[in-house]
Amino acid sequence: MVDSPAQYGRLEQDLRKGALVLAVLSQLRTPQYGYSLRQALAQRGMPIEEGTLYPLLRRLESQGLLASQWQADDGPPRRYYELSTLGTGVYQDLTSAWGSLASVMNRLLTEED
Amino acid sequence: MDPTAIIDSYVADVVRHLPRRQRADVALELRSLLDDELAGRAADADRPADSALVMELLTAFGRPHDVADRYRPAGFMIIRPSDAPRFTWIALGGIALIWAITLPAIMLGVIPVTGWDYGADAWWGRLTVWWLGPGIGALWWPGVVITYTLIGALVDHRREPAPDGWTPAPPRTIDRDLVSRPGIVAGIAAGVLGATIVIALPWLAAWAPGLPGPAIEALALDPGFLQWRAPWILPLWAAELVLYVLVLITGRWTVPTLRARSVLSLATAGLLLWWSLGGPVFLSPTTDTTARLILAALAVCVAVDAVVAFRRSRSTTRRVPSLA
Repeated sequence: MVDSPAQYGRLEQDLRKGALVLAVLSQLRTPQYGYSLRQALAQRGMPIEEGTLYPLLRRLESQGLLASQWQADDGPPRRYYELSTLGTGVYQDLTSAWGSLASVMNRLLTEED
Repeated sequence: MDPTAIIDSYVADVVRHLPRRQRADVALELRSLLDDELAGRAADADRPADSALVMELLTAFGRPHDVADRYRPAGFMIIRPSDAPRFTWIALGGIALIWAITLPAIMLGVIPVTGWDYGADAWWGRLTVWWLGPGIGALWWPGVVITYTLIGALVDHRREPAPDGWTPAPPRTIDRDLVSRPGIVAGIAAGVLGATIVIALPWLAAWAPGLPGPAIEALALDPGFLQWRAPWILPLWAAELVLYVLVLITGRWTVPTLRARSVLSLATAGLLLWWSLGGPVFLSPTTDTTARLILAALAVCVAVDAVVAFRRSRSTTRRVPSLA
Protein backbone atom coordinates (compact mmCIF):
# COMPACT_ATOMS: atom_id res chain seq x y z
CA MET A 1 0.00 0.00 0.00
CA VAL A 2 1.32 3.44 -0.88
CA ASP A 3 1.03 5.24 2.41
CA SER A 4 3.92 7.66 2.39
CA PRO A 5 5.25 10.40 0.13
CA ALA A 6 8.53 8.47 -0.12
CA GLN A 7 6.76 5.44 -1.57
CA TYR A 8 4.85 7.60 -4.01
CA GLY A 9 8.13 9.28 -4.95
CA ARG A 10 9.67 5.90 -5.77
CA LEU A 11 6.72 4.93 -7.94
CA GLU A 12 6.93 8.21 -9.82
CA GLN A 13 10.68 7.71 -10.20
CA ASP A 14 10.09 4.25 -11.68
CA LEU A 15 7.60 5.76 -14.11
CA ARG A 16 10.05 8.44 -15.25
CA LYS A 17 12.93 5.98 -15.48
CA GLY A 18 11.36 4.36 -18.53
CA ALA A 19 11.25 7.66 -20.40
CA LEU A 20 14.70 8.83 -19.35
CA VAL A 21 16.69 7.37 -22.24
CA LEU A 22 14.40 8.82 -24.86
CA ALA A 23 14.44 12.20 -23.11
CA VAL A 24 18.25 12.23 -23.12
CA LEU A 25 18.47 11.11 -26.75
CA SER A 26 16.03 13.83 -27.77
CA GLN A 27 18.35 16.53 -26.42
CA LEU A 28 21.48 15.10 -27.98
CA ARG A 29 20.52 15.69 -31.57
CA THR A 30 22.89 18.63 -31.08
CA PRO A 31 26.15 18.26 -29.08
CA GLN A 32 25.79 18.90 -25.36
CA TYR A 33 28.07 18.45 -22.39
CA GLY A 34 26.77 16.94 -19.18
CA TYR A 35 25.85 20.07 -17.29
CA SER A 36 24.24 21.81 -20.27
CA LEU A 37 22.25 18.68 -21.02
CA ARG A 38 20.97 18.47 -17.46
CA GLN A 39 20.00 22.11 -17.57
CA ALA A 40 18.24 21.65 -20.91
CA LEU A 41 16.24 18.72 -19.55
CA ALA A 42 15.39 20.52 -16.32
CA GLN A 43 14.18 23.58 -18.21
CA ARG A 44 11.84 21.37 -20.21
CA GLY A 45 10.38 19.75 -17.10
CA MET A 46 12.53 16.62 -16.90
CA PRO A 47 14.96 17.19 -14.02
CA ILE A 48 17.46 14.36 -13.58
CA GLU A 49 19.82 13.83 -10.68
CA GLU A 50 23.47 14.40 -11.52
CA GLY A 51 24.48 11.01 -10.24
CA THR A 52 21.99 9.33 -12.56
CA LEU A 53 22.53 11.29 -15.76
CA TYR A 54 26.28 11.06 -16.16
CA PRO A 55 26.61 7.28 -15.83
CA LEU A 56 23.64 6.96 -18.20
CA LEU A 57 25.51 8.97 -20.83
CA ARG A 58 28.49 6.62 -20.59
CA ARG A 59 26.25 3.58 -20.80
CA LEU A 60 24.55 4.91 -23.93
CA GLU A 61 27.95 5.66 -25.39
CA SER A 62 29.19 2.15 -24.65
CA GLN A 63 26.08 0.84 -26.44
CA GLY A 64 27.06 2.85 -29.49
CA LEU A 65 24.09 5.22 -29.32
CA LEU A 66 26.18 8.28 -28.48
CA ALA A 67 29.52 9.64 -29.63
CA SER A 68 31.62 11.91 -27.47
CA GLN A 69 34.67 14.11 -27.72
CA TRP A 70 36.54 16.47 -25.45
CA GLN A 71 36.41 20.14 -26.42
CA ALA A 72 37.79 23.27 -24.78
CA ASP A 73 36.11 26.31 -26.33
CA ASP A 74 36.83 29.40 -24.25
CA GLY A 75 36.77 27.47 -21.00
CA PRO A 76 37.71 24.27 -19.27
CA PRO A 77 37.77 21.07 -21.35
CA ARG A 78 34.37 19.34 -21.48
CA ARG A 79 33.12 16.13 -22.94
CA TYR A 80 30.44 16.75 -25.55
CA TYR A 81 27.95 14.02 -26.38
CA GLU A 82 25.73 13.69 -29.44
CA LEU A 83 23.73 10.99 -31.20
CA SER A 84 25.77 8.58 -33.28
CA THR A 85 24.43 7.23 -36.58
CA LEU A 86 23.13 4.19 -34.76
CA GLY A 87 21.73 6.41 -32.00
CA THR A 88 19.85 8.52 -34.55
CA GLY A 89 18.12 5.42 -35.91
CA VAL A 90 17.32 4.14 -32.44
CA TYR A 91 16.02 7.57 -31.44
CA GLN A 92 13.60 7.54 -34.39
CA ASP A 93 12.42 4.02 -33.56
CA LEU A 94 11.96 4.87 -29.89
CA THR A 95 10.10 8.06 -30.76
CA SER A 96 7.69 6.02 -32.84
CA ALA A 97 7.33 3.45 -30.03
CA TRP A 98 6.73 6.24 -27.53
CA GLY A 99 3.93 7.65 -29.74
CA SER A 100 2.20 4.27 -29.76
CA LEU A 101 2.69 3.82 -26.04
CA ALA A 102 1.39 7.28 -25.22
CA SER A 103 -1.64 6.66 -27.39
CA VAL A 104 -2.34 3.32 -25.69
CA MET A 105 -1.84 4.82 -22.26
CA ASN A 106 -4.20 7.68 -23.04
CA ARG A 107 -6.86 5.21 -24.11
CA LEU A 108 -6.30 3.11 -20.98
CA LEU A 109 -6.41 6.08 -18.66
CA THR A 110 -9.42 7.77 -20.17
CA GLU A 111 -11.67 4.88 -21.11
CA GLU A 112 -14.76 4.46 -18.96
CA ASP A 113 -15.56 1.25 -17.15
CA MET B 1 38.42 24.11 2.97
CA ASP B 2 39.26 24.52 -0.68
CA PRO B 3 36.28 23.34 -2.81
CA THR B 4 38.65 21.93 -5.44
CA ALA B 5 40.32 19.75 -2.81
CA ILE B 6 36.93 18.45 -1.67
CA ILE B 7 35.96 17.58 -5.25
CA ASP B 8 39.33 15.93 -5.88
CA SER B 9 38.93 13.83 -2.75
CA TYR B 10 35.38 12.84 -3.75
CA VAL B 11 36.43 11.93 -7.29
CA ALA B 12 39.27 9.82 -5.90
CA ASP B 13 36.77 8.04 -3.65
CA VAL B 14 34.51 7.28 -6.61
CA VAL B 15 37.16 5.99 -9.01
CA ARG B 16 38.69 3.82 -6.28
CA HIS B 17 35.70 1.50 -6.78
CA LEU B 18 36.12 1.31 -10.56
CA PRO B 19 38.33 -0.89 -12.76
CA ARG B 20 41.79 0.63 -13.28
CA ARG B 21 41.36 1.07 -17.03
CA GLN B 22 38.26 3.21 -16.46
CA ARG B 23 39.58 5.35 -13.61
CA ALA B 24 41.49 8.10 -15.42
CA ASP B 25 38.72 8.75 -17.94
CA VAL B 26 35.91 8.79 -15.36
CA ALA B 27 37.97 10.96 -13.00
CA LEU B 28 38.58 13.53 -15.72
CA GLU B 29 34.96 13.66 -16.75
CA LEU B 30 33.58 13.59 -13.23
CA ARG B 31 35.82 16.44 -12.15
CA SER B 32 34.75 18.47 -15.16
CA LEU B 33 31.06 17.74 -14.49
CA LEU B 34 31.30 18.60 -10.82
CA ASP B 35 33.13 21.84 -11.62
CA ASP B 36 30.36 22.79 -14.04
CA GLU B 37 27.66 21.82 -11.56
CA LEU B 38 29.33 23.81 -8.84
CA ALA B 39 29.69 26.87 -11.03
CA GLY B 40 26.04 26.55 -12.08
CA ARG B 41 24.84 26.24 -8.50
CA ALA B 42 26.96 29.19 -7.44
CA ALA B 43 25.53 31.29 -10.28
CA ASP B 44 21.96 30.24 -9.42
CA ALA B 45 22.48 31.06 -5.73
CA ASP B 46 24.42 34.23 -6.52
CA ARG B 47 27.16 33.35 -4.08
CA PRO B 48 30.77 32.15 -4.39
CA ALA B 49 31.50 28.45 -4.87
CA ASP B 50 32.53 27.78 -1.28
CA SER B 51 32.98 24.56 0.65
CA ALA B 52 29.36 24.60 1.93
CA LEU B 53 28.05 24.70 -1.63
CA VAL B 54 30.36 21.92 -2.78
CA MET B 55 29.32 19.75 0.16
CA GLU B 56 25.69 20.32 -0.77
CA LEU B 57 26.43 19.34 -4.37
CA LEU B 58 28.30 16.16 -3.40
CA THR B 59 25.56 15.16 -0.95
CA ALA B 60 23.06 15.37 -3.81
CA PHE B 61 25.42 13.54 -6.14
CA GLY B 62 25.44 10.50 -3.89
CA ARG B 63 27.79 8.23 -1.98
CA PRO B 64 31.00 7.48 -3.87
CA HIS B 65 30.26 3.76 -3.87
CA ASP B 66 26.77 4.30 -5.31
CA VAL B 67 28.10 6.62 -8.01
CA ALA B 68 30.78 4.07 -8.92
CA ASP B 69 28.09 1.37 -9.15
CA ARG B 70 26.25 3.46 -11.71
CA TYR B 71 29.38 3.74 -13.83
CA ARG B 72 29.95 0.02 -13.81
CA PRO B 73 28.28 -2.09 -16.47
CA ALA B 74 25.48 -4.29 -15.21
CA GLY B 75 26.89 -7.42 -13.59
CA PHE B 76 25.44 -10.90 -13.77
CA MET B 77 23.00 -12.49 -11.39
CA ILE B 78 24.43 -14.92 -8.87
CA ILE B 79 21.24 -15.97 -7.12
CA ARG B 80 17.83 -15.48 -8.68
CA PRO B 81 15.39 -13.78 -6.31
CA SER B 82 13.11 -16.82 -6.51
CA ASP B 83 16.01 -19.06 -5.43
CA ALA B 84 17.10 -16.85 -2.52
CA PRO B 85 14.82 -18.41 0.15
CA ARG B 86 15.87 -21.95 -0.85
CA PHE B 87 19.53 -20.90 -0.90
CA THR B 88 19.17 -19.46 2.61
CA TRP B 89 17.47 -22.61 3.85
CA ILE B 90 20.18 -24.84 2.39
CA ALA B 91 23.02 -22.70 3.75
CA LEU B 92 21.62 -22.14 7.25
CA GLY B 93 19.91 -25.54 7.44
CA GLY B 94 23.26 -27.23 6.76
CA ILE B 95 24.87 -25.37 9.66
CA ALA B 96 21.95 -26.26 11.93
CA LEU B 97 22.22 -29.92 10.92
CA ILE B 98 25.99 -30.04 11.57
CA TRP B 99 25.49 -28.39 14.95
CA ALA B 100 22.59 -30.70 15.82
CA ILE B 101 24.83 -33.71 15.18
CA THR B 102 28.15 -32.51 16.58
CA LEU B 103 26.97 -30.67 19.70
CA PRO B 104 25.31 -33.67 21.41
CA ALA B 105 28.14 -35.92 20.28
CA ILE B 106 30.79 -33.74 21.92
CA MET B 107 28.73 -32.83 24.99
CA LEU B 108 27.78 -36.43 25.73
CA GLY B 109 30.42 -38.51 23.98
CA VAL B 110 33.93 -39.56 24.86
CA ILE B 111 35.98 -36.78 26.48
CA PRO B 112 37.54 -34.95 23.56
CA VAL B 113 41.31 -34.89 23.23
CA THR B 114 42.12 -31.20 23.36
CA GLY B 115 45.71 -30.94 24.45
CA TRP B 116 44.80 -29.50 27.83
CA ASP B 117 43.29 -31.15 30.87
CA TYR B 118 41.73 -28.20 32.67
CA GLY B 119 37.98 -28.36 32.29
CA ALA B 120 38.18 -31.07 29.68
CA ASP B 121 35.24 -32.98 31.15
CA ALA B 122 33.23 -29.97 32.37
CA TRP B 123 30.27 -28.87 30.27
CA TRP B 124 31.92 -25.56 29.47
CA GLY B 125 35.14 -27.31 28.49
CA ARG B 126 33.26 -29.53 26.06
CA LEU B 127 31.28 -26.57 24.80
CA THR B 128 34.53 -24.69 24.17
CA VAL B 129 35.99 -27.66 22.31
CA TRP B 130 32.80 -27.95 20.28
CA TRP B 131 32.67 -24.26 19.43
CA LEU B 132 36.34 -24.05 18.45
CA GLY B 133 36.03 -27.25 16.42
CA PRO B 134 32.81 -28.25 14.66
CA GLY B 135 30.91 -25.17 15.91
CA ILE B 136 32.85 -22.59 13.92
CA GLY B 137 34.00 -25.28 11.51
CA ALA B 138 30.40 -25.75 10.32
CA LEU B 139 30.78 -22.51 8.40
CA TRP B 140 32.55 -24.50 5.70
CA TRP B 141 29.10 -25.53 4.53
CA PRO B 142 27.78 -22.10 3.46
CA GLY B 143 31.23 -21.52 1.97
CA VAL B 144 30.81 -24.60 -0.21
CA VAL B 145 27.26 -23.60 -1.17
CA ILE B 146 28.34 -20.07 -2.13
CA THR B 147 31.36 -21.32 -4.08
CA TYR B 148 29.26 -23.76 -6.12
CA THR B 149 26.63 -21.07 -6.69
CA LEU B 150 29.30 -18.66 -7.90
CA ILE B 151 30.79 -21.24 -10.25
CA GLY B 152 27.32 -22.11 -11.58
CA ALA B 153 26.48 -18.43 -12.11
CA LEU B 154 29.79 -17.86 -13.93
CA VAL B 155 29.21 -20.85 -16.21
CA ASP B 156 25.65 -19.68 -16.95
CA HIS B 157 26.91 -16.17 -17.62
CA ARG B 158 29.58 -17.31 -20.08
CA ARG B 159 27.37 -19.83 -21.83
CA GLU B 160 25.87 -18.64 -25.10
CA PRO B 161 22.10 -18.23 -24.83
CA ALA B 162 20.27 -21.21 -26.26
CA PRO B 163 19.12 -20.52 -29.84
CA ASP B 164 15.80 -22.26 -29.25
CA GLY B 165 13.19 -20.48 -27.24
CA TRP B 166 11.88 -21.84 -24.00
CA THR B 167 9.23 -24.51 -24.27
CA PRO B 168 7.10 -25.75 -21.40
CA ALA B 169 8.02 -29.15 -20.02
CA PRO B 170 5.54 -31.96 -20.67
CA PRO B 171 3.11 -32.39 -17.80
CA ARG B 172 4.42 -34.51 -14.99
CA THR B 173 2.30 -36.74 -12.84
CA ILE B 174 0.87 -34.91 -9.87
CA ASP B 175 -0.06 -38.13 -8.07
CA ARG B 176 2.93 -38.33 -5.76
CA ASP B 177 1.26 -41.04 -3.69
CA LEU B 178 1.85 -43.65 -6.37
CA VAL B 179 4.76 -45.88 -5.42
CA SER B 180 7.19 -47.80 -7.56
CA ARG B 181 6.58 -51.46 -6.73
CA PRO B 182 10.03 -52.62 -7.90
CA GLY B 183 11.50 -49.82 -5.80
CA ILE B 184 9.53 -50.92 -2.72
CA VAL B 185 10.60 -54.55 -3.26
CA ALA B 186 14.24 -53.46 -3.58
CA GLY B 187 13.87 -51.31 -0.47
CA ILE B 188 12.37 -54.15 1.56
CA ALA B 189 15.11 -56.53 0.39
CA ALA B 190 17.84 -54.02 1.28
CA GLY B 191 16.19 -53.31 4.64
CA VAL B 192 15.92 -57.03 5.52
CA LEU B 193 19.54 -57.62 4.47
CA GLY B 194 20.76 -54.64 6.52
CA ALA B 195 18.72 -55.67 9.55
CA THR B 196 20.10 -59.21 9.28
CA ILE B 197 23.66 -57.93 9.24
CA VAL B 198 23.03 -55.64 12.23
CA ILE B 199 21.26 -58.42 14.19
CA ALA B 200 24.14 -60.78 13.42
CA LEU B 201 26.79 -58.25 14.49
CA PRO B 202 27.12 -59.64 18.06
CA TRP B 203 28.12 -62.99 16.54
CA LEU B 204 30.50 -61.48 14.03
CA ALA B 205 33.46 -63.61 15.10
CA ALA B 206 31.41 -66.78 14.59
CA TRP B 207 30.05 -66.08 11.07
CA ALA B 208 33.02 -64.17 9.72
CA PRO B 209 36.05 -65.96 11.15
CA GLY B 210 38.23 -64.66 8.31
CA LEU B 211 38.04 -61.10 9.60
CA PRO B 212 41.24 -59.87 11.31
CA GLY B 213 41.16 -59.68 15.11
CA PRO B 214 41.35 -55.86 15.34
CA ALA B 215 38.32 -55.54 13.05
CA ILE B 216 36.30 -57.91 15.23
CA GLU B 217 37.38 -56.04 18.35
CA ALA B 218 36.51 -52.70 16.78
CA LEU B 219 33.00 -53.93 15.98
CA ALA B 220 32.34 -55.53 19.37
CA LEU B 221 29.07 -54.17 20.78
CA ASP B 222 28.67 -52.93 24.34
CA PRO B 223 26.84 -55.58 26.46
CA GLY B 224 24.69 -52.95 28.17
CA PHE B 225 23.61 -51.61 24.80
CA LEU B 226 22.81 -55.08 23.56
CA GLN B 227 20.76 -55.90 26.64
CA TRP B 228 18.74 -52.71 27.16
CA ARG B 229 18.74 -50.43 24.14
CA ALA B 230 19.24 -52.62 21.09
CA PRO B 231 16.16 -54.92 21.30
CA TRP B 232 13.69 -52.04 20.87
CA ILE B 233 14.60 -51.80 17.21
CA LEU B 234 13.15 -55.24 16.46
CA PRO B 235 9.44 -54.37 16.93
CA LEU B 236 10.02 -51.14 14.98
CA TRP B 237 11.61 -53.01 12.08
CA ALA B 238 8.80 -55.57 12.14
CA ALA B 239 6.18 -52.81 12.06
CA GLU B 240 7.97 -51.05 9.20
CA LEU B 241 8.15 -54.32 7.27
CA VAL B 242 4.39 -54.77 7.66
CA LEU B 243 3.81 -51.14 6.62
CA TYR B 244 5.87 -51.42 3.43
CA VAL B 245 4.27 -54.73 2.51
CA LEU B 246 0.87 -53.03 2.85
CA VAL B 247 2.05 -50.13 0.66
CA LEU B 248 3.37 -52.67 -1.86
CA ILE B 249 0.00 -54.37 -2.03
CA THR B 250 -2.04 -51.18 -2.36
CA GLY B 251 0.48 -49.61 -4.75
CA ARG B 252 0.18 -46.14 -3.21
CA TRP B 253 0.53 -44.19 -0.01
CA THR B 254 -2.70 -43.44 1.79
CA VAL B 255 -3.43 -41.16 4.73
CA PRO B 256 -3.34 -44.04 7.28
CA THR B 257 -0.09 -45.50 5.87
CA LEU B 258 1.52 -42.06 5.75
CA ARG B 259 0.52 -41.43 9.35
CA ALA B 260 1.83 -44.86 10.35
CA ARG B 261 5.11 -44.06 8.57
CA SER B 262 5.29 -40.75 10.40
CA VAL B 263 4.76 -42.39 13.80
CA LEU B 264 7.25 -45.19 13.07
CA SER B 265 9.86 -42.74 11.80
CA LEU B 266 9.42 -40.58 14.86
CA ALA B 267 9.81 -43.60 17.15
CA THR B 268 12.88 -44.75 15.19
CA ALA B 269 14.41 -41.26 15.39
CA GLY B 270 13.84 -41.25 19.16
CA LEU B 271 15.40 -44.69 19.50
CA LEU B 272 18.44 -43.75 17.38
CA LEU B 273 18.91 -40.60 19.44
CA TRP B 274 18.71 -42.68 22.61
CA TRP B 275 21.32 -45.05 21.21
CA SER B 276 23.53 -42.12 20.30
CA LEU B 277 23.25 -40.23 23.57
CA GLY B 278 22.41 -42.93 26.10
CA GLY B 279 25.85 -44.48 26.52
CA PRO B 280 28.38 -46.55 24.61
CA VAL B 281 27.25 -48.60 21.63
CA PHE B 282 30.60 -50.20 20.79
CA LEU B 283 33.35 -51.21 23.18
CA SER B 284 36.05 -49.52 21.10
CA PRO B 285 36.00 -45.77 21.89
CA THR B 286 36.97 -44.79 18.34
CA THR B 287 34.27 -46.94 16.72
CA ASP B 288 31.81 -45.80 19.37
CA THR B 289 32.36 -42.09 18.73
CA THR B 290 32.00 -42.52 14.96
CA ALA B 291 28.97 -44.81 15.27
CA ARG B 292 27.19 -42.43 17.65
CA LEU B 293 27.79 -39.52 15.29
CA ILE B 294 26.32 -41.57 12.44
CA LEU B 295 23.38 -42.59 14.63
CA ALA B 296 22.67 -38.96 15.53
CA ALA B 297 22.80 -38.02 11.82
CA LEU B 298 20.46 -40.90 11.00
CA ALA B 299 18.10 -39.78 13.77
CA VAL B 300 17.89 -36.33 12.19
CA CYS B 301 17.22 -37.80 8.72
CA VAL B 302 14.54 -40.16 10.04
CA ALA B 303 12.92 -37.30 12.00
CA VAL B 304 12.80 -35.27 8.79
CA ASP B 305 11.09 -38.22 7.09
CA ALA B 306 8.53 -38.28 9.93
CA VAL B 307 7.73 -34.62 9.33
CA VAL B 308 7.56 -35.10 5.56
CA ALA B 309 5.19 -38.06 5.91
CA PHE B 310 3.01 -36.17 8.36
CA ARG B 311 2.81 -33.11 6.11
CA ARG B 312 1.98 -35.26 3.11
CA SER B 313 -0.79 -36.95 5.06
CA ARG B 314 -2.30 -33.49 5.62
CA SER B 315 -1.74 -32.30 2.06
CA THR B 316 -4.74 -30.45 0.68
CA THR B 317 -4.30 -31.94 -2.80
CA ARG B 318 -5.00 -35.39 -1.41
CA ARG B 319 -8.39 -34.25 -0.15
CA VAL B 320 -9.40 -33.29 -3.68
CA PRO B 321 -9.17 -36.53 -5.68
CA SER B 322 -10.51 -34.83 -8.81
CA LEU B 323 -7.17 -33.04 -9.16
CA ALA B 324 -5.32 -36.31 -9.61
